[in-house]
This record gives sequence, C-alpha cells and structure tokens, in this order.
Amino acid sequence: MAEGQQISTDSIFKEFKEYSAAEFFKKNRQMLGFTGPIRSMTTIIHEYVTNSIDACESGGILPDIIVKIDKYGPDAYEIMVQDNGPGMPEKIVGKALGQLLAGTKFHGNKQSRGQQGIGASYCTVYSQITTGKPTHVITGTDEGLITEMDVSVDVKKNAPKIENKKTYKGEFRGTKVTTKFKEVQYTKGANGPLEYLRRTAIANPHCEIKFYDPEGARVTFPRTSRLLPKLPKGVLPHPKGTTTDDLVSMARTTPARKVSSMLKMHFSRMGDTKLKEIQQQIPFDLEISPKNLTWKEAEDIVKAVKEIKFMAPEMDAVIPIGREHIEKSVLKIVNPEVVYTSDRPPKAYRGGVPFIIEVALAYGGGAGKGESEETSSVEILRFANRVPLLFDTGGCALTKAVNSIDWKRYGLKGLEKLPLTVFVNISSVYVPYTGAGKQAVSDEEEIFNEIRFALMDAGRKIDRYVRGKAREAIKAEKKRTLERYMPEVVNVLVNVAKANKKEMTQNLEEMIIETLKMDESDEAEETDEIADDMDGEINAEE
Amino acid sequence: MVRLMPKSKAELTEKEVSQRLETLAKDITVQIQKKEKPTFRTRVRGKNNVVFDDESLLLDLGDKWSTRNFLNIGHTRKFMQTLLVLEKVKEYLDQNERASIREIYYELKQPIEGSKENKVANQDESNAVIVDLEHAIDSIRDQLNITADPKGGLYGDIDITDHLDKNSKYNCTEIGRTGWGVPSDVEPKSISLGNTSAKYLLVIETAAMFDRLVSKKFYETNDCLLMFTKGQAARGARRLIHRLHHEKKLPVIVFTDGDPYGWTIYSVIKGGSMALASYSKFMATPEAHLVGMTMHDIETYGLQNASEKLEAGAEKRAKELLDYPWFKSKEWQNNIKLCLKMGKRIEQQGLANKNLNFVANTYLPEKIENKVFLP
Repeated sequence: MAEGQQISTDSIFKEFKEYSAAEFFKKNRQMLGFTGPIRSMTTIIHEYVTNSIDACESGGILPDIIVKIDKYGPDAYEIMVQDNGPGMPEKIVGKALGQLLAGTKFHGNKQSRGQQGIGASYCTVYSQITTGKPTHVITGTDEGLITEMDVSVDVKKNAPKIENKKTYKGEFRGTKVTTKFKEVQYTKGANGPLEYLRRTAIANPHCEIKFYDPEGARVTFPRTSRLLPKLPKGVLPHPKGTTTDDLVSMARTTPARKVSSMLKMHFSRMGDTKLKEIQQQIPFDLEISPKNLTWKEAEDIVKAVKEIKFMAPEMDAVIPIGREHIEKSVLKIVNPEVVYTSDRPPKAYRGGVPFIIEVALAYGGGAGKGESEETSSVEILRFANRVPLLFDTGGCALTKAVNSIDWKRYGLKGLEKLPLTVFVNISSVYVPYTGAGKQAVSDEEEIFNEIRFALMDAGRKIDRYVRGKAREAIKAEKKRTLERYMPEVVNVLVNVAKANKKEMTQNLEEMIIETLKMDESDEAEETDEIADDMDGEINAEE
Repeated sequence: MVRLMPKSKAELTEKEVSQRLETLAKDITVQIQKKEKPTFRTRVRGKNNVVFDDESLLLDLGDKWSTRNFLNIGHTRKFMQTLLVLEKVKEYLDQNERASIREIYYELKQPIEGSKENKVANQDESNAVIVDLEHAIDSIRDQLNITADPKGGLYGDIDITDHLDKNSKYNCTEIGRTGWGVPSDVEPKSISLGNTSAKYLLVIETAAMFDRLVSKKFYETNDCLLMFTKGQAARGARRLIHRLHHEKKLPVIVFTDGDPYGWTIYSVIKGGSMALASYSKFMATPEAHLVGMTMHDIETYGLQNASEKLEAGAEKRAKELLDYPWFKSKEWQNNIKLCLKMGKRIEQQGLANKNLNFVANTYLPEKIENKVFLP
C-alpha cells in the first residue's frame, strides 16, 4: 500500500470504519490494478493464479493450473482458473473470495506472491458490479468431499455471502473458480493473459500451466522442476527497514500495551539495549500506549533507528528461484540458444530489508521479442517474488537497471535488435513497489546496484559465449578460404616443381586442420606488414 | 627458404631467374612434404624499411624481411597469387615471351578451380604480388620479362640500337620531333647506347617544354640530349638516365616545374623512390642537379606575374619534403621554406611570360653556364 503513504494510513483506516473495506476498494479500484479493460483482465488472471499456486505450495503439492477464458458476449468473458491444491473448507472460501483484507497473508512478515489478501475477493466484487453475477466455486479436499457454491460480497458489511451450496462425494481435489466479467478485454499482446502465464511459468518452474484462449486454442507451459520452493519462514522485520507509516499502522493493530513492548514484539534484533539507545534519542517515553503514538513520535523512532547500529537482518527469509531452475525453465519456455544466470548472495536495502536478485540472460534462438532471430529485439522480463510485472515498465527500477548497463562491453552491440531475453527477479519479504498496483519496483539504490551487478555477472558469461561464437564463425570462414585457395597452390607446385599432387593435397589438408586447432592464441600474427603503406606501389611510377 | 646465389641482380640471366623461380617452388614443396608451414620470404617495402644513405645519396631498402605463410589467413590469398604469378613468369622466361603488368592481370583474371571467385580481383592485387615475387627471388622486374607502359622520349645526337627490334640502329635526331620513345625495358641486353657528341643530358618534366626546346634547336646550340619524362619518370626513363650518365659520362641536369611535385620528380631521378627503393642502385643518378624552376627564379627573372597560388595539397606536400633526409641541404630547405612563405608555385612554361625564346636563349643557357643549380 505504498500509495497509502501519500493518502496516509490513518485516513484509510478511518474510511474502513465509515465504509467497509469492500466499499472503499470499490471506489478506489485502480489501487488494485483494475484500470482499463486489458489490465483488469490480466489482474484477474493474476489474482486467481497466484492464489492457486500459493495454495498448492502450502499444501506441498506441485501445482497444475488450468486457465480458461471464454467470450460469451461483446466485452463479456467467463474466466475459469483451476488448481490441484488442497481445496478449501467453506469458511475459508468465504474469506478468500468474499471478504477483503481477510486473506492469510496480510499479517506475518513472509515473502509471498500477493501481500494484501484483497485481490481475489475484489475479483468477486468486480464481477458483481459489472455483471451482477456471483462467483462459482468448486473445491475438493482430501476427505473426498466436493463442495460447490456461489460466493458474493456483501459490500456494505464486507462479508461473504454463500448461496446454492451443494456438497457431494467425489475424487476432485483442488479448487476451481469460475467468474463472469464485463469491462475486461482479452488481448494476445505483451500485456495479456497468455504473456502473463508464460512469464509465470518461467519464474515458477515447478508449475504446469495450461491455457485455453477465447478461440479455444490450447497452450501448455510444462513443468521443468519437480522441486517445490521452500516455504518462506515468517521472520520479524528488521528495524532498519521500517517506515513511519509502518509504525503507525502497527500501533493501531498491536496487542502490545506499550510502545517499547510493541517494538520488541514486532521487530527482530530489538533487545532491551537497543530500546535504551532509542529512548536516549527521543523526547518522549517509550512506555506510552501504542494507541497514543502520534505520527511525529513514530517519525522520531524511525530517525533514532537509523542512527543506531543493529545486527544484520536474517537472510533466510528470502527464497530465490535458484539458478538451475531458472536455466531449465528459460531453456524450455524461451527456447534460446543459450542462457546464463547470475550468482549473487542476498543483500539488504534500507539497512534492513533482505532481498535477492536473480538474473538470466537468454541469447539466440527463441530469445527476444519478434518472430525470428533476425527480426528480434530485446525483451525484458521483470518479476517480483516470481510474479510477472507487465505494466509500468518505464518507471521500474528493474527496467532502469537493465537500460543502465553498457551492453556493448558484453559483446551485445545494438541491444535493440538482439535476440536477447533479460530475466530479472527480485525476491524479498517486502518489495518496495512504486504504487498499489504493484507493477513497478521503486528506485532503492541498493536494489538498483545489485541488479546491475547481477546483470554484469551474467553479462560476462554471455560475452564469452558471443565471442566464442564469433570465433567459431571466423574459424569456419578461414577453413573455407584455405580450402578454396589450396588447389591453386598445389597446381603451381605440380607444374613448376613437379610436386606430387596427392601428397601435397593430403598434407595441406592435414595442416589446415592442425592450424585451425591451434589458431586461437596467435591471431595477432595475421597482419600483412610487407607492403602495408605501399598501395599501388607499381602504378605510382608507371 | 630460398637460398640465393650470391650474385648481383643486374647480372642475372634469364635462365638463372627461371632457376630461382623453380627453386622457390621446390622449397615450398619440400616444406609441405615435411608438413612444415608453407612459407617464403620477401623484403619488407614501404616507409618502415627504406633507408637513405648519406654517402651515396641513394634510397635503399633496409634489411627487414618478412615471411608469407599460406596457413596464415591474412597471407593465404597473396600466397596463392604469388605462386600463380610465379608460374606465369616462369612460362614467359622459358618461352622467351614478355608481358605487361596489365596483361598478367588479365591472364590471371579467371575463376579459381571450383569457385566463382577470380584468382585476382583487380590489377592492384596482381601488381602487389609481382613486387613480392621480385623481392623474394632478389631480381628486378625487367628480368622477369614483365614490362611496363613506356613513357618519355629522347632527342639529340646519340645512336641507339634496339636488339628486340631487328637490331635497328637510330640516331635520336632522325626519328621525328617527338624523339625516340623510351621503352620500359632499356636493359643492356635489349638496348645498346652508341656514339654521342652531347656534353650533358637535360631531363624535362613536361612534353610541351621538350617540344619548345626541340623547336628552338636547343640540343644543337647547347650540345646536349633532351629527354622528357611527362611527370614522374617511369622506370625505363630512370634506367636510361642512369645508363647515359654512367656509360656516356653525361652530366644530368633536371628541369621541372617549381613546385613540390616537380622537385619530387627530381629527387626520384636523383636518389630513387620509396616504392622502388631496392632499384636505386640501377636507376638513380645521385650526381644529377636541378636547374629549375626554383623559388629564387621568380625574383631573379621577374616572374611574379607568372607564379600561381600554392594549393592546399601542394602545401602539405612541401611540408613533407622539408622532413625528407634527401632535402636536408641548406639550399633545399631555403627553397622549400621560401615556397611555403610565398605560398606560390611556378611552372616551366611560366617562362613564356617573358617571351617564347626566353627559356632557350636566356634562362637555361645562363643558369647552366654559371652552374646555378640546386644540389
């Protein structure tokens, strides 16, 4: 809720009291990515798919996701997303799809795809307000029971409304959500569902994703890894990463009775010694009740925290995709000639928020935008916690970092026209998005620099490859040249020196192969110094 | 590697040259038999390997040699072309045939076996390897029976015998106003120089000035031979000047335009050229002098009206001349600096600014009589 920083968290929570959360977001839907029909479509797919993947992972199941989009009228679509996850009890269905801010992810400091528990429920609202229809859910748990129901949101109360519930025995396990929407539009372009799913598959090699587009065509993105990502550990945030806004909203929801105990309860590395150090720097008593903490006082605490030294944050809350997994899925899905990844340890930004950058450079073959290698141009795939970022490209630190690299130095001249796919993923407990739409990462210096280092790391590897490839081409050309001129040389030797044609040919052929083998080191030899500055030396005087 | 017989270039017979070519091909054959790199050596030409000998006043090639290696891709094509020229030239020698450099180019302008690519793409390519080959077997081109376009003419009292033309004998006052056309090959085996009454040889840059002097019977009134080079002197002309000087003991006086290009023509006749530095001993005439045109002539003879502006290219060339060791004498430095200072040049024919008789009756006799020369 980074935009909330401008509106101020206080006012949002005040509004929550007056309207419901559902009502609030109904009026501020752009904050959730519902801006325009194309983006709304992709946002809906995103919300359902991330929920499905998260559900599977938390159940220890390799995700099989099916996405189907049907067009049932002009601007009217039915969207179906199905997973093979653990299924949901009725109560959870209501919360997950019928109540905003009720998800399991809102509290707790874990790296996860979604963060607010709003998205899927808002899809229910969006369906309601554009078509008047409820969302149909079928869910089967491991008890062999299947439950079907229609879910809608009572917007005034921000509460789920369940209708037409049926329970029966059956083998289906997982969840299938079917919803009708208007004011959405399907597109095949870079901002559409197909591209979103392709990128999701690339960053989630343990998922298999099948997609049926409105014309009935099916695309399958196969699983390339059978290893489930480690479940992120919930770790308390590091004090250095906190903002005034965080503190104020924490103060509104904490069960702690004093600010001091609130800080100890909600932050890591915060002991009595550190509290004392903070106390020395601020003009009010940390023993006051969090309920009375003002914005100004929260600011003072943040300022004090900045000046105090803390132990470094725990890094194991950050879970990367893993180089070998990225390489496999990129090879399978992008189908390049070659792919190289970076190898960087986790870092922290703002002094305390751990993150890790993973980068892959895929070159040649299917890499890059465009139909063929010849018409290709560079393609930048941005991800935050494995979620594709399709919008706000220009304003994103990931894009800026990619563009800040002098690619010529890595053998990649004329980047615009290269068959190159650049993959960048940031994994963090807290990704600093530029807005509530969560499509662009803000310019944190440490993040920007770390992306650059990772790109340079992979760039050096691709440089070696591109150069090697050029060397191979030169070698092949050399071989052709030598073989073309050789017979003429042999002829002269046969005619003038009575040489044996067969012997000459055989020996020269052998020597050509030998020469090309040893060639690599002594390329400097190949200048012709005999008459360099003597162009047309005969004619000059005749 | 070719083992050369320790014999001076000029003495080589056709048979010996042919032998050297064959030896070169045999050496390469043996290398390939032993699976050694196929290579030959040739002398490095160009500024980096040209030396000026202060004593003999000649340009010469230094002793930098370089190796051509068939397996070095930068050399491969030239290596092949050199062998192709070698084969052709050996054919000429063995069959007592001669060909011009352009004819060799056309002989080789044929597709490579099994390819659409021509053996040589243009004449620059064949020209370059011809020079490589000359230097590889330490011969001069004329000995390879390769001819160049003839340029230049000779007029005056001297008998010439051309052995390649029915052994005809001419006196060079009897073959028309344009004189005897100097062939590209004036080697002793082709041309014999007979009796002459001349006291010196006047070498003239332009054919028009030669015309003027022939028409004024300058050869008769001044007892000299007249020769024109028509710009830069071709190798035949330079070789002939060299022979006339050495065999007929004729002092050589050169008469060019008064500009950096004219003076370069003079310096090539006198000391040799960078491109053909290895030929200087046979072709250059270090004892030659320049009678004009010089920058001082403009003032001395009141030729201000006849002088022309020194263009940018000529100015650049003049500055280069200042740095050449063979223009380091005080007189030459003064002349060139004056040229740059005035920003002027003067042509031979500018002397017509006085009157048409001025060059033959006044300018040349006066300067030659009083030896007003540049060294």
